[in-house]
Amino acid sequence: MTVYESDLPGVGKKFEIEVDDDEQLVIVTHNTGKREVFRRHGESDSEKLFELSDRLARQVGTILEGAYFQPVATETTETMLDEDTLFEWVAVAEGSELIGKTLADMDFRETTGTSVVAIQRDDETESNPGADTTIRAGDTLVIIGTPDACDRVERLAAGTDDPREEAAQAADEPADDDTDA
Amino acid sequence: MAALLFEAGVMFSVLAVAGAVAHRIDLSVIPFYVVSGVLVSPFVFGSLGLPALEDQQFITLLAELGIVFLLFFLGLEFSLDRLLESREEIGKAGALDLAVNLPVGVAIGLALGWSLLEAFVLGGIVYISSSAVITKSLIDLGWIANDEARPMLGTLVFEDLFIAFYLAVLSAVILGGGTFIEVLQQVAVAMGFLAVLVAAVYFGSAYFERFLAVDSQELFVIRAVAITVLVAGGALALGVSEAVAAFFIGMGFSGTDHLHDLERRLIPLRDVFAAVFFFWIGLNTDPTVFGSVAVAGLLVVLVVATTPTKLLTGFLSGRIYGLNDRRSVRVGCGMVTRGEFSLIIAALAAGSGGSVVLAETIPSVAVGYVLVMSILGTLFMQYAGLFERFVVTEESVSTGAD
Repeated sequence: MTVYESDLPGVGKKFEIEVDDDEQLVIVTHNTGKREVFRRHGESDSEKLFELSDRLARQVGTILEGAYFQPVATETTETMLDEDTLFEWVAVAEGSELIGKTLADMDFRETTGTSVVAIQRDDETESNPGADTTIRAGDTLVIIGTPDACDRVERLAAGTDDPREEAAQAADEPADDDTDA
Repeated sequence: MAALLFEAGVMFSVLAVAGAVAHRIDLSVIPFYVVSGVLVSPFVFGSLGLPALEDQQFITLLAELGIVFLLFFLGLEFSLDRLLESREEIGKAGALDLAVNLPVGVAIGLALGWSLLEAFVLGGIVYISSSAVITKSLIDLGWIANDEARPMLGTLVFEDLFIAFYLAVLSAVILGGGTFIEVLQQVAVAMGFLAVLVAAVYFGSAYFERFLAVDSQELFVIRAVAITVLVAGGALALGVSEAVAAFFIGMGFSGTDHLHDLERRLIPLRDVFAAVFFFWIGLNTDPTVFGSVAVAGLLVVLVVATTPTKLLTGFLSGRIYGLNDRRSVRVGCGMVTRGEFSLIIAALAAGSGGSVVLAETIPSVAVGYVLVMSILGTLFMQYAGLFERFVVTEESVSTGAD
């Protein structure tokens, strides 16, 4: 795939990228930072697709590159250490029963079956939180445990007014009885 | 001071309105700035009893800064490397453009019985196409991504370089005045000054780089403005074209890392001062001059004579770049546009204090000429389809016979 670069004196630079046999993508980068993107079919005129400001162009570029990552704080992310051990980030929602309690209060490890290895609050991470650390709304608990144990923490961390959560809790509980520590 | 400040405010307000109108109709602002100057001048509003603005020192100064910044940016965008890269194509297209269009203007001037100097000035005015207006149209029409942009921009680069040389010589000749020896002396001084500048640009790129390597954005801008205006002012004091001096300063910075920062931070300044320049040109133009048959007739002759020449040389330069007929026609249409440079040359003539032709007729005619040609060229580009059909029909006729 060839990219042709040419100068547009007084304007900026032009890049022509062969997309297909007959189709080209033409990107004009203005000295002002503006990017204009055109599509050209063979010998016909270039058809302008859109234009982007400098900042937007860089963001779009990163997305196209596949390197764009934005941490989604409201969802849980998980990493498997082995098939029975998960590393999870759990966000503590408003209305969660964990709020205001310390790890000792909850007897966290015994109750949930997971260990809290770190608590992320705003931009700071407190690793190995002490037993007297109070959990607050908006915290992200970094826990280690079995998949079921992590699910338990997720349910506790969720706000209790989500009907789906309550239904899931109700559905889960019978199965959970055997694995309760 | 209150009166001056208020007048300045009025001037900028008029420019704002003119610009708004231009944007509404989606045409280049340049002719509108000029017309706004013509309207609020003592010649139009003044003679109608409406409040008018008179040309005065502060407006002239801001206009001068406009010329300086316009040429500074030209030098900034100019790249000797680019020129050398496509030197064959640019050289041929540029030389053709020069060989046809400059002499036409000179010939018309001589035919009117004007002096060689006056004819030479007229030649320059009709020769040079407008980089600003053409580039804007190219972007507006989306042609910037097509092949026809290359010969147009390439020829404009050649013209810019030639005009720098032309302005240097012309300034020296005009400011030198008097006898042949004095003129020669002045030209020598000019060439010497410019040689120093060129050497500074060529050998001193490290100094240019270091000069603007400051953390503060404010310092950056002030330093850039300081060196540009100081050198340009110094040049003018020595009788050298301030425009060309600014051009070389711009060129000096074009090779540095500061290029993008300069563009970003100084473009607003340039736009403000350049607007005043176009306004000032209009302000000093008496439109009743066009009431005289002689002047109006000259304008018509110029338009009629110099439009087909540009269409032709533009078309041929398209072919030189290997474009097909259709796109070459577009190049021709675009190059018809005249604008800011013709006005800069006219300003030079107006300030010369020379003959009536030089100081009054030529500037007035130039204003009318630019107003017509900037609009005409833009319209030609927008309706290039009509011209293309002219060429394509011929082609399909010939291919139909196969």
